[in-house]
Amino acid sequence: MGQDQRDNKELQEKLKHYRLNESEHRRIAGLLGREPQGVEWALFSAMWSEHCSYKSSRVHLKGLFNKSERVLQSFGENAGVVDLGDGERVAFKIESHNHPSFIEPYQGATTGVGGILRDIFTMGARPIAVADYLCFGRPQAERMEKIVDGVVRGIGGYGNPVGVPTITGQTEFDPSYDKNVLVNAMAVGLFRKGEKVFLSKAKGVGNLVVYAGAKTGRDGVHGASMASESFGKDSEKKRPTIQIGDPFFEKLLIEACLEVMEQDLVVAIQDMGAAGLTSSSFEMASKGGVGFNLHLDRVPLRESTLQPEDILLSESQERMLMVVEPAKLSNVEALFKRWGLEAVAIGEVTAKKTMKLFWKGDLLTEIDPELLTEHAPMYERPFEPWTPSNRVASVADIAGESAADIRASLRTALSSPQGCSREFIFRQYDGHVGASTAADCHESVGVIRLKDSGRGLGIVLGCRPQMMRLDAREGGLDAVAFPALELAAKGFEPLAVTDCLNFGNPERVPVMSSFVAALSGLNEICESLVAPIISGNVSFYNETEGRGITPTPSTGVVGLRPTVTSLPKSDFVHEGENVFLLRLPQLWTSGAMGEVTGPESTGPRAFGTLNGKEIAALVTSLRKLTEGVGPHSPATENTISATRVVGKFGLGYALARMAISKNIGVRLSRSATQAARPDLAKMSFAESLFCEVSYEVLISSTESLEALRNRFASHGGDPRSLHLIGTTHGHRFVIESGSSSDTDPEGTLDVNLLELKMDYDSGWSSAFKNLSFERQY
Amino acid sequence: MAKAKVGVVRFPGTNCDRDVFEAVGLSGAEPIWLWHEDLFDSAQFSALILPGGFSYGDYLRSGALAARAVAMKSVREAAVRGTPILGICNGFQILCEARLLPGALVRNTGRRFIDSWVDLKKVGSRTVFGGSLPSGSGIRIPIAHADGRFVIDDSGLNELRDRDQIWLEYQANPNGSIAAIAGVTNENGNVAGLMPHPERAFHEWMGGTDGRRLLEIWS
Repeated sequence: MGQDQRDNKELQEKLKHYRLNESEHRRIAGLLGREPQGVEWALFSAMWSEHCSYKSSRVHLKGLFNKSERVLQSFGENAGVVDLGDGERVAFKIESHNHPSFIEPYQGATTGVGGILRDIFTMGARPIAVADYLCFGRPQAERMEKIVDGVVRGIGGYGNPVGVPTITGQTEFDPSYDKNVLVNAMAVGLFRKGEKVFLSKAKGVGNLVVYAGAKTGRDGVHGASMASESFGKDSEKKRPTIQIGDPFFEKLLIEACLEVMEQDLVVAIQDMGAAGLTSSSFEMASKGGVGFNLHLDRVPLRESTLQPEDILLSESQERMLMVVEPAKLSNVEALFKRWGLEAVAIGEVTAKKTMKLFWKGDLLTEIDPELLTEHAPMYERPFEPWTPSNRVASVADIAGESAADIRASLRTALSSPQGCSREFIFRQYDGHVGASTAADCHESVGVIRLKDSGRGLGIVLGCRPQMMRLDAREGGLDAVAFPALELAAKGFEPLAVTDCLNFGNPERVPVMSSFVAALSGLNEICESLVAPIISGNVSFYNETEGRGITPTPSTGVVGLRPTVTSLPKSDFVHEGENVFLLRLPQLWTSGAMGEVTGPESTGPRAFGTLNGKEIAALVTSLRKLTEGVGPHSPATENTISATRVVGKFGLGYALARMAISKNIGVRLSRSATQAARPDLAKMSFAESLFCEVSYEVLISSTESLEALRNRFASHGGDPRSLHLIGTTHGHRFVIESGSSSDTDPEGTLDVNLLELKMDYDSGWSSAFKNLSFERQY
Repeated sequence: MAKAKVGVVRFPGTNCDRDVFEAVGLSGAEPIWLWHEDLFDSAQFSALILPGGFSYGDYLRSGALAARAVAMKSVREAAVRGTPILGICNGFQILCEARLLPGALVRNTGRRFIDSWVDLKKVGSRTVFGGSLPSGSGIRIPIAHADGRFVIDDSGLNELRDRDQIWLEYQANPNGSIAAIAGVTNENGNVAGLMPHPERAFHEWMGGTDGRRLLEIWS
């Protein structure tokens, strides 16, 4: 082997180790004007990883609708901030922790929650709520039961001790997640009147760079670049790159950080997340247009053998980086000490925009931070424009037409993994710490009462993977439209959105095409609603052994309501009320959606197109309808007691869910239901009960049809879109055939709610034999 | 008339401290922060509350480290003095670990954390907390714990019964507690502990107001 060959082999090994490609290597050498040396390799590896640099998505993210009058802070900071008026503001963001959660479910999920919480309190907002969006594979898939158990324990194991309530969530099952689960965590924080928003922009030459929180260990080294790779058969070996979280430390860190900010002792602050000290220090300096002198040997270490490269790349949890005026250092140190934490000056801010990294007095490198933060490559990955013909969905046919078949379909839907109760999950989460929870995981909208103004902050997660399998553009639009309607159905005005774009390998054209199509759908609905996307992250390479996940742009939508009193429930609460169906039919599917185990059909099983403007108009009028009425309007009383947006498994499933929770029955008129849905005339009645029509909303109210229609019209709604289809009554789910003839082939459904509730409650333990709990009836 | 002063003790990892502080204020008393590292003059306080949470991250055992904190010396003094002391959730665990209350709290039989509203029945009347409620009253408030199973040996249980120290019982036992015990008092009746969270049931919008019936003793 000649010298050139040996050099080349060495270079190839280096590139492999640092997960960089040849063109990126050439780009680095060009920017530096020389070959990278020593720790520079590690710096570029971390900062130019997909996870940190967004190199495949940035070109598309630039066009996102991300501003409105309410938006105080959008992308570019740790989280977005929205102004609620009255001096109250909220910061929120959703983030993925998919790869670590598949490898080590408990730790992956805990650090996912810990990381997103730090993004929030880094800005000076006290975290007030957590929400989790989870996609698992089939229950019978290899390791899946253990993964589900570990992830759920992990979320609770972190969220509960830190004292932030988990108030809503969404859990999906599909074979495409068998070997690549999704764990997306959202956190919301509140700034009360007078509380300042802190940013990460470093300022003030001569100020100190202060490290605070937990000591640095070897965990998570190369985590960011690991998260930017597809999984192969050897994903188990990536276990050492998993971080370990400690919620006790985080709780102390929250209190200490909020106190130093309240006392105005810090100039800038940023948490050490992906790529740890490297990304936090380089981003802070780059944003401020300043430099840092950093003494890596002053970083508190868990083990003394750690080398500079490990210290730079470690993703040890519960650590913060702050810029502090020298005169305030002793106060900062004392305050952290009171909370049992260390705060150590490890460097200083310099005027020249250069990062100087030192190790025991030796200069390791001297580099312009912008080379890493601003000059990362930006790829225009090839994609094909969206065409509305890509309708591929996994859809099951309804067995038959008779009342017995309807009953069987209902029971199947309620007891399937997709349709059964999630109580096993959310009863392990503290949903009420903070004493501000006005609606918890039992409801379709999680609600926190804002202490000072008494207003309600509503949080809903979105993205229905079955819609994404149907069509990426419609699915992306639905990912905000559906939760926005859920908010509106409880009287909340949707204000802003955070998104977590979970996709497969962006180097594959179909994946990139679905990414672009989903973003166009998201963008359309956000613009129509004037609910900008203010934060989020992109998770590519959700692919194992060449098979990608369902493209899954999960979202968190935040809304505001004038009060938390007279909030409509998601289940029937009173007998003797009218049951209405509000309709905006734009997209129809045939067959029951959302099943986990059915064969994949490739036929065009859906038709129609979602229209953002029309949906936004419905959101506005629906919100005003459900906000509540009364002499001290708004919302001192409410004629509407319950609402539910019809989703998976269609109208039949939605009605059953509303009835079984509080054992309040419903009598549905078959003729009135059919008259309300003339567009489904060609379907059998049984099929029409389980197909999905986007969008339909169920409303239970004491009002007459005329009164409700008049009120809806006064709010700009189309009165003809409201239909009376039944009443709440007794303890059975009854469909009145409307025919006096006993020979009616479809007969009359009449089923005891307890029977349906047993199906709904037992579905989980049937799917997961070792994951059950004793129920008290 | 000056409001009754109620001390709210904070340990590192306590996470219901602010909730309890607010609830005490709503109950007509003046809440005052007490810090785990500091001794305090127990004579100053009409009552003390140890809120829930995960003091010291539940390391070793729930409540074990907090029971040995400096402030607990003053809490003991107050207990001897006869000051009403209430431990909620982790606060109950701490009082058991400090031997100010009988028995111990161990992992739920289901071995998992449980967040749920529960129905309670008031049994004993030794404590001033909820003192105006007749025995047998139903109380509905939430629980949120992993280590909430109350255990005690047979003779201890008999003593609790004989001395009317069983304060609250679950109507449907969620965690495997012996005799479905949700709350107990000490022999003297001034120290009480319960696993459910009264501060989370103070307003209709929370889902119920029964928590007030236990804490509103100063209005």
